[in-house]
Amino acid sequence: MKRLANFYTEREQSILGGGFILLLILLWELMPRLVPPSKGFSLFFTTPWKVVEAAYQLFVENKIQEHFYVSSIEFLAGLGLAIVVGLPLGLLTGRSRNLDAMVDPFVTIFNATPRLIFLPLFILWFGIGIWSKIMIVFIGAVFPLLINTYEGVKNVDRVLVNVVRSFGANEWQIMKIVVLPNSVPYIVAGLRLAIGRAILGVVVGEFFGASKGLGFLIATAATNYKVDVVFAGVAIFMGLSLILTMAVKKIESNLSRWRPEEAKTF
Amino acid sequence: MKLKQFFAEHRRLWLGLGSVLFVLVAWEALLTYVFPLNPFFFTKPSLIAVAFKEQVIYGALWGDLAVSSKAFLWGFSFAILVGIPLGAVMGWRRKAGYTLDPFFTALYASPLVALAPLIIVVFGVGLFAKSVLVFALSVFPFIFNTFAGVRSTDRLLINVVRSFGGGEKDLYLKVIFPSTLPYIIAGARIALGRGLVGIIVGEFYAASEGIGYAISRFGDTYRLPEMFAAIFLLMIAAVALTEGMRKLEDVLAPWKPSQERR
Repeated sequence: MKRLANFYTEREQSILGGGFILLLILLWELMPRLVPPSKGFSLFFTTPWKVVEAAYQLFVENKIQEHFYVSSIEFLAGLGLAIVVGLPLGLLTGRSRNLDAMVDPFVTIFNATPRLIFLPLFILWFGIGIWSKIMIVFIGAVFPLLINTYEGVKNVDRVLVNVVRSFGANEWQIMKIVVLPNSVPYIVAGLRLAIGRAILGVVVGEFFGASKGLGFLIATAATNYKVDVVFAGVAIFMGLSLILTMAVKKIESNLSRWRPEEAKTF
Repeated sequence: MKLKQFFAEHRRLWLGLGSVLFVLVAWEALLTYVFPLNPFFFTKPSLIAVAFKEQVIYGALWGDLAVSSKAFLWGFSFAILVGIPLGAVMGWRRKAGYTLDPFFTALYASPLVALAPLIIVVFGVGLFAKSVLVFALSVFPFIFNTFAGVRSTDRLLINVVRSFGGGEKDLYLKVIFPSTLPYIIAGARIALGRGLVGIIVGEFYAASEGIGYAISRFGDTYRLPEMFAAIFLLMIAAVALTEGMRKLEDVLAPWKPSQERR
């Protein structure tokens, strides 16, 4: 008994947290058996087990792989483009005050606006193929990267920069030796936010004018009242974003143990 | 000499204004003198200005904006009403925090927007579904920021209030609430952005009115100047809200903790 109590107190956090999620899933599964749903309601209702079955079915039919492939290309290409553009721009605006002043209005405006409003425009410009999604992923992900890189550069220790400069380093060497290493934690934090925005872009981009991708799968399933397929698709997105954000979060906490506690952001 | 000094003092402002003006002029000039304008593909500032005048000053876009704001306000208010107490309980009661944290984290980290088609199919096209979407997206920043705020409350202050005989009510009103406030407002800013996403997606997906619907309708009918006018209107509203929230943050919580800018 004592050992059991010890076991509990040592792992209280994970037992309570994991237990609660398991309990919810169990309740969800048992609900239709405890309270039989009415006919209209059962149209929108599904249970976790049915979701698993639907996911398995899609997997066997090779459908998930197909949609997943398209979605991941959009995600990777858009995020890659965002990194290629956002990082250098963030470094430059962080180092040059004039450039910062010139770019700042655009960054403020675009960052405040949900970039998804450009989706109809991108569909018009890039068609309903993969490129309109890549662009919406890009424009969603680029700003958190840019802003966080900028913040990292701005927070660099002036003394260190001056030391390196006194020893005759040029701007490029300052960047390489002091600024870039110092900004890494910020960049990783920006990357975490960017991943969230990128997934958002993939999902929403595929809702409209698409013929492939997990978002498309979800949207068509919803209009056909295949609720179990909807949840299967949502669960895949959930799993992916959890894995990705947790991985980046792990890197982040390794890199920035010294930073004060902050609220979670995704 | 005076002019030079004036310029030097407000250098940031001038450079910012200048670059915005430059982009607008270059956009207009390029499409007027260099490339022939294909009105089904692109548009230019002068045409957008005309459309803006028509749509915003005389036109129907205000109605659309009002419809969207209504759904936004309902969802956002409920997010505040639910999120702050939940976060406070999670922060104050250790076990409640342990129990709810992983579940809410999973929901917060996942793109809940993926549920939009289902929410719209279930709740129908209209105010209610959009409000639900806004609520689902914007409740989590309130929960987690309140949670973090309550948890980081200075134990010393709590002990001081207790030592001087303060009750539970004093604790909440005099220590926990003021020290959590900056976190809550920072959360509100994040929630604002997520709520706007909810509105836009809801209206793109299925709606008969609203600013998102207006944008996608103008896009479908190749009315690019009107579309840009609607986009600009939304941009102005979004910037006003975000900057307003930032100002509010400075006024209500000048002692704010370090926060990433996003």
